[in-house]
Amino acid sequence: MRRTRTGPRDLSREPEPQQPGRILDARLHLLDRQVLDIDDLPVCTLDDLELEVAGGEPADRVPAEDGRIDGSVPVVISALLTGPVLGTRVFGGRPPASRWYRLPWAHVSDVGTVVHLSVRSAGLDATWLERWTRDHVVGRIPGGTHDPEGSG
Amino acid sequence: MIASDLLDTPVHDDAGAHLGWVVDLRFVLDGRPSTYLAGARLHGLVVSPRTRTSFLGFERSDVRHPWPVAPLLRWLHRGTFLVHWPDVARVPGADDDTDRGRDPVVVLRAGYVRYEPGL
Repeated sequence: MRRTRTGPRDLSREPEPQQPGRILDARLHLLDRQVLDIDDLPVCTLDDLELEVAGGEPADRVPAEDGRIDGSVPVVISALLTGPVLGTRVFGGRPPASRWYRLPWAHVSDVGTVVHLSVRSAGLDATWLERWTRDHVVGRIPGGTHDPEGSG
Repeated sequence: MIASDLLDTPVHDDAGAHLGWVVDLRFVLDGRPSTYLAGARLHGLVVSPRTRTSFLGFERSDVRHPWPVAPLLRWLHRGTFLVHWPDVARVPGADDDTDRGRDPVVVLRAGYVRYEPGL
């Protein structure tokens, strides 16, 4: 048996063929990573991934009869999701679909130790609470609209 | 469907035998070209026969340190395999846990192939 740095090779498993693109594992490379906008400002943490059938597939490749997606159709990441997951992680279940904030995959510019977006956070639904807090809470505190770094 | 519908889900073969749990989803960036990154296609499921989750992916990498953490975690996840997405016959739906008699499980097709999960 050939030995490698990772130990003896398991003959019950076939070697994985070379893939044509970069490989990302959801938990290892994406989930719970911080998401930064184009100015490196924090947007959110990545709580989940929305998956959908890849567009432009032949008409005979459709989901199963009950609408359930299975391996017969290619699936892609359509959006990164962030939302109120603290309760569901502790007690189980999942937030309703209406509570997720979607960040389209097309806005992702790089995946590393953090996930970079190609858009500004000010235009994203995911940061509405930060904007509301700035306008209605921090802005009403005397001096709250003063930017010490901006005014020199 | 969201990733959480698949993660931590039991995996059965076509005869109903328990094979393990989905510990991760593998994507390949070979989809529709975009300005920055290509589309992320779901390539397969990483299945561990012994644990419901994975920790830092030691069983999928050549990382050997810190000793003895890396060898221990690799041993805990021994037998982990990758199954390609076309070998998946059925995935759980959002209402499976409330649908009587239909447990949320991933079912693989007959003749599915186990691949090495290394990155």
